[in-house]
Amino acid sequence: MSSASAQPNRVDRAIVVARDRDNVVVAGEIVRHRRATRIIHWTVALTFLIGLLSGMPIWTPLFGWMAYLVGGMEVARVIHPYAGVAFVIASAFQFFHWLGDMHFASDEKDWWRPSRMARYMRWEDEASEEGGKYNGGQKLFFWAVCLGAVGFLVTGIPMWFPLRFPALLREIAIILHDVTFICFLIGVILHIYLGTAAEPGTFRAMTRGTVTRSWARLHHPGWFRKVTGESRDKRT
Amino acid sequence: MTVQALEIKRSSAAMWGTKTGLREKPVVSKYIDTTTCIGCKACEAACQEWNDLKTVATHQEGSYQTLPHLDADFWNLIRFNEREVDGGLMWLMRKDQCMHCAEPGCLEACPAPGAIVQYANGIVDVDPSKCIGCGYCSTGCPFDVPKFHKTTGKMAKCTLCVDRVEVGLEPACIKACPTGCLQFGSKEQMVAMGNARVSQLKGAGFQDAMLYDPQGVGGTSVVTVLGHGHPEWYDLPRDPHVPLLVRAWKSILRPLGVLAAFAAVIGVFGHYATYGPKEPPEGDGVGEGRTK
Repeated sequence: MSSASAQPNRVDRAIVVARDRDNVVVAGEIVRHRRATRIIHWTVALTFLIGLLSGMPIWTPLFGWMAYLVGGMEVARVIHPYAGVAFVIASAFQFFHWLGDMHFASDEKDWWRPSRMARYMRWEDEASEEGGKYNGGQKLFFWAVCLGAVGFLVTGIPMWFPLRFPALLREIAIILHDVTFICFLIGVILHIYLGTAAEPGTFRAMTRGTVTRSWARLHHPGWFRKVTGESRDKRT
Repeated sequence: MTVQALEIKRSSAAMWGTKTGLREKPVVSKYIDTTTCIGCKACEAACQEWNDLKTVATHQEGSYQTLPHLDADFWNLIRFNEREVDGGLMWLMRKDQCMHCAEPGCLEACPAPGAIVQYANGIVDVDPSKCIGCGYCSTGCPFDVPKFHKTTGKMAKCTLCVDRVEVGLEPACIKACPTGCLQFGSKEQMVAMGNARVSQLKGAGFQDAMLYDPQGVGGTSVVTVLGHGHPEWYDLPRDPHVPLLVRAWKSILRPLGVLAAFAAVIGVFGHYATYGPKEPPEGDGVGEGRTK
């Protein structure tokens, strides 16, 4: 095994190994999402993107240009349900992978209220010292994604095989598929925004897997304390 | 089938509503008199032959009817219904095919631009080169007409012989009818002929005879004289409409959804401009050891 001091351009193998364990401090950074988590997350994201690109041109001609990215309207119709099935399978893995961290703490139970979400978005929500790895908003988004995946699947099947279902059921399925999508799209737009521009330092948690100590202290002080054993207010 | 020479009045999935044509042209129509139909099925055979449709295996279900319902390879079906009326048996035959609605639900529901068109002469047609085979049209159709063709993966239905009509011929079914119960001409003429026949029938004792030209779909380019004023006896919906949920989906939910999506994107930029990013305080975390 080579050491970092002998070959300064290489990452120490021990660090690579350590980075594949959640919630540990490695080389001054905290591992937030180990490799498996990141692969699952990006599989969900990629299958959703394919579903989006093949679904939106069928939804409205306003987004007809997206059909060109997947090979035309007919290709879109063919691949959309398969992308959907892949998305649901990936979401199922994600569900079991993250389930343990997604129970709402007592002071997070009001996150469904728009007032609480608005307070957070004004950056006025004081991060909970008792909170775990994820805050209430992230947990809410997790449950929304799981519910959405079920909604897409249940309403998508009659749309996939229209000849086998009565017309009224198909009409209801189309409406619910649209409603699910509209809610999902708004959620994903906010999710991408919060994960990139709005909260710098977050995106790397899903790429290289680690976050800085200051990031963890600011966004998830309870988790930070558990991982590092340091108090939130240690800084002077 | 699409025909280049014919002006298109409406098209599926067009950006600004469905209207594409400017000029008003005379609308054509079939005329079907169920009271003089003898159930010979010459129209069925003529339709299969002219449109080069494959032979479909028939189903024996205790009646003379060729198939239980229309098929992607069978666009013209005589429906045979038996009914006891005033102690006597009535054998009710009705030619079933695409009704070519003035406000077609199939066209409204279709997501593929130009896959379903309505020509200025009222004919509603599927363009297989643009159809994506999603089946939304069959969800939008109040008459359950468009059928999915398993070989082509596209929807198929009666074209009202648009290729014949375009060159001044009558549709194949009309041409083949031996009793004259099928006629073809302008919608105005056919409605006038139908109304005359209905009053004649009323005079002959068929008090509730009616002309079936359902206004819920804006009227149809197939007007049908019914000897008995009960469309459901002939497997016809009494008051067909484009399904309410299809209308709500296309004209309310979809624009709202598009607005909501754009609003979310604009809102995100507005949020960034107002509140900026949430970052750790300056210097926080700096100088802390790399140890655990």
